[in-house]
Amino acid sequence: MIKDNQYAIEVDGLTKRYGGLLAVNNISFTVRKGEVFAFLGVNGAGKTTTVEIIETIRPLTSGRVSILGMDVTKKKRDIIRRIGVLPQGFNSFDRITVRETIQYFLRLFGRSNSEADGLINLVDLKEKSTEQFKTLSGGLKQRLGIAVALVNDPEVVFLDEPTTGLDPRSRREVWDVLLSLKNKGKTVFLTTHYMEEAELLADRVAIIHKGKIIAIDPPAQLTEDYDNYIILTLKSPKGKASEIIREVGFEPINDKRGDIKVRLEHTEDVQRILNAVKEGGASFHGLDVRTPNLEEVFLKLTGDSIHEETAGERLAK
Amino acid sequence: MNLHVIGANLTVSIKSFYRDKTVVFFRIAFPVILILVFGTIFMDRGNEIFALGIQDLDRTKASAQIAHAIGLSGRFKITKVAPGLDATQFAKDHKLNLVLVIPKGSEESLVRRMKSDDPKAFVSLRAVHDPSSFGVSTKMQVLSMVLAAMNQKMSGKAAFIKLSETSILKKKYRFIEFFVPGIIALAVMTASLFGSVNVNAELRQKGVFRKLSTTPITRTDWILSTVLYQFILAVISTIVMLLVSYAAFNVSLAINAWLLVFVALDVFTFVGLGMILSRVAKEAESAAAASDALMFPMMFLSGTFFPIEMMPDFLQKFAKVLPLYYVNEGLRASMVSVDNMAALKSAAIIGVFAVVVFVLGIMITSFGDEA
Ligand SMILES: Nc1ncnc2c1ncn2[C@@H]1O[C@H](COP(=O)(O)OP(=O)(O)O)[C@@H](O)[C@H]1O
Ligand SMILES: [Mg+2]
Repeated sequence: MIKDNQYAIEVDGLTKRYGGLLAVNNISFTVRKGEVFAFLGVNGAGKTTTVEIIETIRPLTSGRVSILGMDVTKKKRDIIRRIGVLPQGFNSFDRITVRETIQYFLRLFGRSNSEADGLINLVDLKEKSTEQFKTLSGGLKQRLGIAVALVNDPEVVFLDEPTTGLDPRSRREVWDVLLSLKNKGKTVFLTTHYMEEAELLADRVAIIHKGKIIAIDPPAQLTEDYDNYIILTLKSPKGKASEIIREVGFEPINDKRGDIKVRLEHTEDVQRILNAVKEGGASFHGLDVRTPNLEEVFLKLTGDSIHEETAGERLAK
Repeated sequence: MNLHVIGANLTVSIKSFYRDKTVVFFRIAFPVILILVFGTIFMDRGNEIFALGIQDLDRTKASAQIAHAIGLSGRFKITKVAPGLDATQFAKDHKLNLVLVIPKGSEESLVRRMKSDDPKAFVSLRAVHDPSSFGVSTKMQVLSMVLAAMNQKMSGKAAFIKLSETSILKKKYRFIEFFVPGIIALAVMTASLFGSVNVNAELRQKGVFRKLSTTPITRTDWILSTVLYQFILAVISTIVMLLVSYAAFNVSLAINAWLLVFVALDVFTFVGLGMILSRVAKEAESAAAASDALMFPMMFLSGTFFPIEMMPDFLQKFAKVLPLYYVNEGLRASMVSVDNMAALKSAAIIGVFAVVVFVLGIMITSFGDEA
């Protein structure tokens, strides 16, 4: 019983097949109440399938899934009232305004129209409240979708790729909304294929690949556990910096901006390299030392590029 | 069933309707235009005055009398064709599809017939006509009737066989009165079928149904909302059609509770069919194509534009399995012939059909993908 209170979501040995395709392969995990949990994976990894099974709108092949202590295959009606869902690629009625859309979903849950204002403010859509859905930009649609997911004051909120396809600015605006949810202590289940998103928002991240969870931990711990090296970047180097670094026994990588990156095992090596470069008469215009980010961990774990834009910057070999 | 939810759906549907001017046009204005166009084309054929050219080559008192007598019948608007002209050419040039030529020697024949009762003395009028022209055969029949009456009069004997008319309908009924109930049935069918197929297929394709499946709305709520919305629009559109028919053609139709019954059955049947189609056809486009395939035969074969008695036997048999046929029959029974038994019979048949289709529609509709 105590266990039931602690966990919002419990998934045990979940498997989903579409005909011959094994989309989700025997995964198990739990999400604690009040936690922001992220599923990180490329397109087709099985994120939506898993999330929609937990939301009770897709049947499962085998395994046990419960949410708020209720079995998803048996308690659909009860579960629906206590969760909020932003489906992947949220869409609504074209000619209905922002306010009317929120009021419509409020009425579906038997709630009062007067709650619309609070939700509109929460997602910062006050100025757009009389615009019809079809005239909204992608970012505004997603923010409306989040407001709609919250109409029933849900205990668990599911957000399936909330920022996919948005420009950086709109993405940041959606993140602001999600951060305010996090600060309110809502339980949030997020799926994404953006590293920054998982890193910024999630308390814990599960990396899902080809229907299997291959790592699950807080983002900081993931980067620590799976990679114990640091990256030194020399910006706009002049002279024979690359050769000098090679001479002292390290492998420099020239990235497409013209910077030099070096992967190091120990912090002392930073000083050795900097000294060697200086003595060799080469120079640079800035430097950066950091631990690897989630993207590098992901690449290492999956051997896969998570999204095309950053593939060129791949540096862990 | 949840009235809150149905109310919410109705609000959204009605707002979506009047904010989309194309939909408003096709829903309200289009049937009205059909009524105005067809009503005008087929207006009052029974008392139509036909255009007729007459060329008098005899130019005598007797031939002038023949022409005058034809004019007296009141069925023709006569154009005189000068004797010097070629009648055929004249007909072509003036788009006149019938020119009657009174030949030379007509008076002479008449005199011979009158004086000596010579059976070989007769006048042969020549009808120059355009057989490809619409309505020319009716016009020639009317002309023959006028000539027959003249012959009979000239014989000086009273006619033996006479014809008196008794209509099976209470009133004299015109094409427009046949046509308006047909257009009501058609407009309600089209809107219910297309409305439910298009809206459902689009909402499914765009993922709105997936979102709805994560809310407490049930498919019964959804379908009842759709039916109610379509019924409200059908009533509005029917009222507009009737008002226009009264204003433009002064139709004489009986308006009674049957009208509501048949409009409701029409809506139930075709929303139900629409639900089935949008579920069976996965893509929005194929659902639309399927509803086209269903609608066109129904439009032309169930007696909307002309009575099915005009069609060959096997097509008449086919018409009798089309649901729209019974809506047409029922509406005409109630509005034109005011025959309650006939209306009841049609209502019973279409009612059974509506229940079956509708229950099937509810059974197979779902918001999810069922994958
Ligand atoms: N309804 C479906 N029918 C058949 N295959 C599906 C269906 N939905 C998803 N799949 C397949 O299952 C795999 C996982 O898909 P999905 O869960 O949508 O991944 P993600 O959300 O991570 O992109 C993919 O290979 C996808 O093609
Ligand atoms: Mg997905």
